[in-house]
Amino acid sequence: MMGAGDDDALDLSVELGSLRLRNPIIAASGCYNRGAEFGRIMDVAAYGAVTLKSVTREPRLGNEMPRLLSTPGGLLNAIGLQGPGIAYFLEHEAPKLAAVPSAVIASVAGFSVAEFAEVASRMDGIPGIVAIELDVSCPNVDAEGACFAEDPASTAAVVEAVKARVTKVPVIAKLTPNVSDIKPVARAAEAAGADALSLINSLRGMSVDVDRARPWLANRSGGLTGPAIRPVGVYHVWEAATAVKIPIIGMGGIETGRDALEYLMAGATAISIGTANFRDPLAPLHVGETIAAELRKRSFTRVRSLTGMANPGFAGARA
Amino acid sequence: MVSTPLLEAAELISRERVAPGFWCLGFRSPEIARRARPAHYVAIDLPGTFSVRLPLGIWTARDDTFTLLFREWGERTTRLACIADHEPLSIIGPLGNEFSLPDTGKRAVIVAGGIGVVPFWLLVRELLAAKVRTTVVLGARSKHMLVGVDELRALGADVKICTDDGSAGTRATALDLARELAPPDVFYGCGPPPLLRALSEHANAAGIPCQISMEETFGCSMGTCWGCVVPIRRGSPQAVGYPHASDEKREYDFARVCVDGTVFWSREILWNR
Repeated sequence: MMGAGDDDALDLSVELGSLRLRNPIIAASGCYNRGAEFGRIMDVAAYGAVTLKSVTREPRLGNEMPRLLSTPGGLLNAIGLQGPGIAYFLEHEAPKLAAVPSAVIASVAGFSVAEFAEVASRMDGIPGIVAIELDVSCPNVDAEGACFAEDPASTAAVVEAVKARVTKVPVIAKLTPNVSDIKPVARAAEAAGADALSLINSLRGMSVDVDRARPWLANRSGGLTGPAIRPVGVYHVWEAATAVKIPIIGMGGIETGRDALEYLMAGATAISIGTANFRDPLAPLHVGETIAAELRKRSFTRVRSLTGMANPGFAGARA
Repeated sequence: MVSTPLLEAAELISRERVAPGFWCLGFRSPEIARRARPAHYVAIDLPGTFSVRLPLGIWTARDDTFTLLFREWGERTTRLACIADHEPLSIIGPLGNEFSLPDTGKRAVIVAGGIGVVPFWLLVRELLAAKVRTTVVLGARSKHMLVGVDELRALGADVKICTDDGSAGTRATALDLARELAPPDVFYGCGPPPLLRALSEHANAAGIPCQISMEETFGCSMGTCWGCVVPIRRGSPQAVGYPHASDEKREYDFARVCVDGTVFWSREILWNR
């Protein structure tokens, strides 16, 4: 399947808490659904796991249009968490997960601690869901709209409430890059029981249509993704990897295998590909081949050997 | 019917500047050319610095080649206009649904504004082959923005032209001109939103079926990102609906232009939401 999979000497598997993935390449939330759309033109099994679009408690219609703008090296988006809500998800979408050729990570978004806990607990134990990622970059309506993940205590409150009710699968906290120092947030998530961290989420941004003298996006601001944000992501992964022992899923602008290697060497155990799928749906295959080639070049047999190798302060475990 | 796309390496084989800022590029891409149906589009990976794929409607398709007719608008279209000869490009297509055809002997009127002419070469070819009497009304702001006329006439279509400034054809909008024709059995439309909205309202009021090819900013072009939605009447087969707290009053659901469209029935589009 993957270039590396043919080589029995290489071990590409990684562990995220109790979860073991056959390879470290994950499709990022919001970009891939269950893989059925991209599965029309490629083999989704190239991914070790796919992350579903975030599910909220209530259905959401999302933002007005335009929701997207192509920017230099990136994509600015403000979709607004359009989605069916947890009840519809469980009835209509969860039964389809068994057909996904990769492991499936669910994503939960919420606007209060209670909402996160409720939705995550209803995901726990659903056949086919191997982990739950928490999109804690949402605004907290109980705290005047401040983003959970910008505050260590709010992040911890969400993770703690979810961990109290989710017992069957690992819980991953997805952190925002919109902070000056990621380490206190990463430590708070770890102390609250997170089994792994995902970072980074999109970077808050805006673009103005000069001809019409107004923001391009109907939502005014949006989340910037794509290669433009990669150095920010690598930096935050590097920093977090010096602060926590739990594994980190690195993401933000990964387009090629070398991009993925940057994240792994900075301290990530696994990586996610998001917006790059919108250019190259075969990106997971190319990334897998490059990682395998790098392992051979360095006479490594396990992808875990790459994790944190560029980062002298790396605090996590490689095995 | 929604297409079955594939990822194909396409070679640039021709490039023509058909008007200031308007280009027609030809690609050898046998499978995509063979599968192309009216209103289908492709998503192109542009060489160089990252950008999401550029979606463009297919203009003509013959044998193992297809052409793209487009206006330079934004950085990505400029990059496409400048790619090297014979450079192989990764293209996904054909994408999107397609126009449906009326029965033999019926009358069709196509209303196109500017670069909105693009989906209609394939459609006109199909309509004429199905012996549907077809008139194309093509409008543009001025003469130098009127593209595709010769190619449509070469198919044997009756093409009427108009411009906002009177520099070519009648000084009128495409809809003004279409209104002067005998009411057809079906309308087709593509172009700027104000024209499409006016055409929809005219067709709906007259009780004439009307198919509109819509445009929005695409992200993935594959249906995963939900960036390109349009409001569609609730319960429409193309709408992606689910129960919602605002159900009491809400008349619309969203549809993704990239995979649920680009073609929608005018009666289903809620311009006024």
